[in-house]
Amino acid sequence: MFKSNPYHNKTAQWVVYVLFFGALAFVPVLSDDAFMMNQFATYGVFGMLALSISLCWGFGGILNLGQGIAFGLGAYGMAMTMQMQSQDPETSPMPPFMLNNSVEQLPLMWEPFWHTGWGIFIALAVPTLFCVIFGTIMFRARVSGPFFAIMSLAMLSAWYTIILDSQPFTNGVNGISPPAPLSIGGFEIDPYSGFIYWMVLFLLAAMTLIIKLITTSKFGLIVQAVRADSERVRFLGYSVSYYETVIYAVSGFIAAIAGCCWVVAVQYVSPAQLDVSFSISMVIWAGIGGRMSLLGSIIGAFMIQGGQSYLGDEFLATWLLILGGFFIFVVRFLPKGLAGLLESGLGLLVAKPAAERESAPGPVAGAKVQG
Amino acid sequence: MDSLFGNFDLSAFASALLLGISIGSIWLIAALGLTIIYGTAGVINMAHGEFLMLGAYSSYMLQAYFGVPFFLCIPASFVIVGLVGLIMERGLIRYLYNRPLDTLLATWGVSLVLMQGVRLIFGSDPKYIAVPQMFQESVEIGFFSISLFRIVVLLITALLVAMIWYLFYRTRFGMQVRAVTQNKEMAAAFGINSGRVYMMTFALGAGLAGVAGSLFGVLNIVLPTMGTSYVVQAFLVVVVGGGSLVGSVAAGAGTGELQSIFAYFTSDTFARFLLFVLIVILLRYKPQGLFAITKARR
Repeated sequence: MFKSNPYHNKTAQWVVYVLFFGALAFVPVLSDDAFMMNQFATYGVFGMLALSISLCWGFGGILNLGQGIAFGLGAYGMAMTMQMQSQDPETSPMPPFMLNNSVEQLPLMWEPFWHTGWGIFIALAVPTLFCVIFGTIMFRARVSGPFFAIMSLAMLSAWYTIILDSQPFTNGVNGISPPAPLSIGGFEIDPYSGFIYWMVLFLLAAMTLIIKLITTSKFGLIVQAVRADSERVRFLGYSVSYYETVIYAVSGFIAAIAGCCWVVAVQYVSPAQLDVSFSISMVIWAGIGGRMSLLGSIIGAFMIQGGQSYLGDEFLATWLLILGGFFIFVVRFLPKGLAGLLESGLGLLVAKPAAERESAPGPVAGAKVQG
Repeated sequence: MDSLFGNFDLSAFASALLLGISIGSIWLIAALGLTIIYGTAGVINMAHGEFLMLGAYSSYMLQAYFGVPFFLCIPASFVIVGLVGLIMERGLIRYLYNRPLDTLLATWGVSLVLMQGVRLIFGSDPKYIAVPQMFQESVEIGFFSISLFRIVVLLITALLVAMIWYLFYRTRFGMQVRAVTQNKEMAAAFGINSGRVYMMTFALGAGLAGVAGSLFGVLNIVLPTMGTSYVVQAFLVVVVGGGSLVGSVAAGAGTGELQSIFAYFTSDTFARFLLFVLIVILLRYKPQGLFAITKARR
């Protein structure tokens, strides 16, 4: 029996984090199947996306159905960088698909990507900047809740169509598939190796750590207050839109990193990465895993994407039915996802104070539903 | 882009303006059901696109298997999809009224289930709804040519708007709906069964989606994924309009017209992008939309 719910114990949380990432770091030691390493690295990317949704939605209360914008822009930036690594200013200054689209000169938009460092910088800066601008406009106008969700969705579909339509610059529906892996300072990142897995895992762990620190800081406390009742926080003199924009932009930055890692791992990007259904599946991962829990969201992504890869073949026709039905069940009965189930479960172990034990059924810790 | 200022053609531009009315009517009819559901119950129904799709499939089914004439399929789709909406409201939505973000997610789950369910039953190959030959022809109005069916869509949209207006502002039921929208508790204190009002409006909204879907099935091909292409536009109409009927009519006509004008100067996709950016800027100054419904803050 515990004095308080161990789910909320800070030390226990850190121990679980260390155990979780430590155990994952040993996976390449057990298996050296190159294909599997690549696949697990993509799961790590999905984990990052779920993490960013957890920060934005679970923690900040901003339901973002357009996370694919930051992910997709980051991915396109990285793909352009990698594409330009295999071009030569003298002999072949332009990617082959441009020649097929009869573009005569390398578009200005592509010029900075000659330099790998600038390319990666742009791949991360542009999505973040977009989030800052879009977030500022929306949150200053006090657009929140479902309205923001709809607007982010509309924005996503606008980006999707514009990228799809700009065939000469983005290769349209076919997307960009850089011919060679990314090399930084002469070192080539082999996408089919343990290295890519460790790289993604390291970034995932580092971002989880940073977000955990943000959420436990004073800044994080105010963000949580905004989620609970933004009007009251505004009356206390805080700039609500500032806190919302920062959380939204940080979440977008993480998604942009995920986008970069995605292209390094799969060497491919297409408008499908900005598809509405992909952005909503990110929300589904976080929702089922538990949006209030960083680890819960990551595990949600692993579970659902893993399930899709390994069970999907068996239940090919009914997989979406199962997923949709399960998601409805979670939203209806477990608003905090599977992590919330764990929280209530651990809450049952708490030793009730003597006084409370006499006055029949005591409140179950953590069972409070938040809107 | 060189058509931006060069060779401005007045008659082509006038055609674009007329086409804009047609686009607006299509977006408006897609958004009508959504407007009613959002405006009354505050529910963001992500399954709305799939309601449209169900409407198209029920028309297809009635026509292909039972030989029902097309213009009888439309009211039949209203009833069928309305029943689906009724079941969904009773079984799921009514438990989530005080959690608006969760209704959005739950209805997305429903849309996944509906889409995959239809795919399992009917397959993912495209289906076609046949209309009488005369509606496949185009009419010439001076320099302007438009397919007759688009005019039918425009007329049905106008008819539906008039009927909804009558229902909401001239009947006892409509007064109850407006009372519940403005203040649920107060309305309940006056003996209005708000649960029943929500149920009826949800079914009505779903039914309207069914009507729109059976028309879209003719304009386009019938596919399990057809709903997603309309739903974002429909949402924008509701967001811009602010959730009221007059707002949606204004927003539908306005956005449709702007889309057509932008498309005349640039291209279809770039026009859409421009329109979305414009809506974001509009929301900066009118976050509640053009004609917001006054609601009591709870």
